[in-house]
Amino acid sequence: MTYEPPVTDYDHIVENCTCAFCGCNCDDLDYLVKDGHVVAVRHACRLGASKIMEDMDQRLIVPMIRDENGELKEVDWDTALDKAAEYIANSIRPVFYGWSETSTETMKEGVALGEYIGAVLDNQATICHGPSLQAVQNAGYPIQTLGEVQNRADMIAYSGSNAMNSHPRHMARYAVFCRGYFRQRGRFDRTVVTMDPKFSDTAKCSDKWIGFEQNGDYGFYNAIRAVLRGKELYQDVISGIPKEDIYELAEEMKNAEFGVLFFGLGLTHTLSKQRNIDIAIKMVQDLNKYSKWGLTPMRGHFNVNGFNIFMAFECGFAFGVDYCRGYPRYMMGETNTIDLLVRKEPDCFMVIAADPGAHFPNGANQHLADIPVIQIDIHWGPSTELADVVLPGSFIGVECAGTSYRMDGVPIFMKKAIDKPETCRDDEWIVRELKERVMKLREEPNTAPKYVPNPNAL
Amino acid sequence: MHYANTYLEKPVVPDVKITGEGTTDVLKCMLNTGSDIYQGACKKRGSTLKEEYKNASGTCYMDPRDMAKLGVNNWDTVLVKTDFGEVVLNCAVSRDAPHEGTVFVCKGPWANTIVSHDTYCCSDPTYKGIRCTVEKTDRKVLLMADLMRWVYKKYVDEEDDDVVENMDSLGELPVYHGRKWEELIDHDL
Repeated sequence: MTYEPPVTDYDHIVENCTCAFCGCNCDDLDYLVKDGHVVAVRHACRLGASKIMEDMDQRLIVPMIRDENGELKEVDWDTALDKAAEYIANSIRPVFYGWSETSTETMKEGVALGEYIGAVLDNQATICHGPSLQAVQNAGYPIQTLGEVQNRADMIAYSGSNAMNSHPRHMARYAVFCRGYFRQRGRFDRTVVTMDPKFSDTAKCSDKWIGFEQNGDYGFYNAIRAVLRGKELYQDVISGIPKEDIYELAEEMKNAEFGVLFFGLGLTHTLSKQRNIDIAIKMVQDLNKYSKWGLTPMRGHFNVNGFNIFMAFECGFAFGVDYCRGYPRYMMGETNTIDLLVRKEPDCFMVIAADPGAHFPNGANQHLADIPVIQIDIHWGPSTELADVVLPGSFIGVECAGTSYRMDGVPIFMKKAIDKPETCRDDEWIVRELKERVMKLREEPNTAPKYVPNPNAL
Repeated sequence: MHYANTYLEKPVVPDVKITGEGTTDVLKCMLNTGSDIYQGACKKRGSTLKEEYKNASGTCYMDPRDMAKLGVNNWDTVLVKTDFGEVVLNCAVSRDAPHEGTVFVCKGPWANTIVSHDTYCCSDPTYKGIRCTVEKTDRKVLLMADLMRWVYKKYVDEEDDDVVENMDSLGELPVYHGRKWEELIDHDL
């Protein structure tokens, strides 16, 4: 890496923009704009800056559909939208996946379309924090806002999360280094513990690293719970951690004034999945007998929480909502995108502001090679290589305004800073257009059959 | 136009000098996937067709002792196999070493070919803690577009893996028919 002089050649600054990268939704960014492009970003982390100063080589600008040779061809908006609407209207089991990198306003149109056509609506939570959402249903949700963490927390525990790499400003802005009302000295007033099998960059700047063994998280949290409840540990080493260390950690956690557990995909992607989070939530509940503790899932995309909150408000289920029977239905392992794809059920797949090509396992993606795929996105990505219709959207928080929800559930309005490329459209407009066109092609909405009581049963 | 540069051709990794052939051909390991800052920055910028994404995401981070066992140096290629598939990756010393017996691959199309799709009925595939084998290879790491063609073969008629792997590369820029895009795009940026 070489030294780079600061960018001084710009027309104007747009202040207090919201970052459209991770669940931290930092809302203090300043964009340096020149000739309608963001040329530099102040205050953002490496990830946020790199996302906002996008790669224009791969920016999707013109709608495209596959021709008979299997190559993408530029077309006008009407043709592309008609083609996409035709795929959706003729399908029996469509799946609309994504939504996490778009605005809540777009989801509103999406849920109307999904309900009309009888689709499955799912978001990235299905491959990241889905188990956390299940655990929240199992065990509760002792959450606090990030502002409380900044002002009050004196003990921060990161578990299965590498905040330094995936949420770089989380530690600086909300949790560790920042000064707060009751934590005037910032980092010096806080104890940071990282629990991760990997000696990650977060672990390197923590006070304590608990490197339990791979897939050992469930046993480890249970051991802490046992100690918190005054039990003796019989084994000398639990999940690779000596029992003395577990006693010491439990004591430290009990004595914290305000502790927060941030957990990431390290817990949800290992074998015990949602049971890991169950036990972590219960550990926080046990800790609350002694002190004040809370927890927050480290959500990845800037609006992944927004979709879960929005869907839970609209239909009662956070993700993986199936409308095929005319009413919302949700069944773990049945109405989720990965399970549907592995079982080869969907016959039409719409990707909106997501990248299954980059993030789904091979076993699930194989089915995308057999069915029509519609992509609404801003960049040419791995999913474009599998897409049959490509609809270029716009960049929320930079080219288009919208509402998003931070990882702790605080809604934030993301303002518009620059104009979008003239041939792109807002995601909200695209989904609304698709809805109207699908409604023309399929006149009857997908509704539940009228309930007729069985006369023999009376 | 001067703009702040976020491009980085290769992730920064510790230096290592492995001499000798190594003591084993096939190394049994535990595979972990996840994200790191280089992969995140490249993916979110949208530079997924580029060499940069290949280096950031298609790299197998190993403990130096494991590399010595195989006799591989930074940016040599290795073949990683699991029950779910196989893929050719670069190898490099992990910044989080020591973690002997565990390899780390950033999420992305490369990791996807070898991770488990088993959700055990809880929606989430098992991306971490998968048994794998690592061996030295002469094969090249494919660029994203070539990899997607090799794995899914959605728009090629050819079925044979070896033939598709050795087809002409699709390159580091989007492949499509049309002109409008090129006119609209601001190449000065």
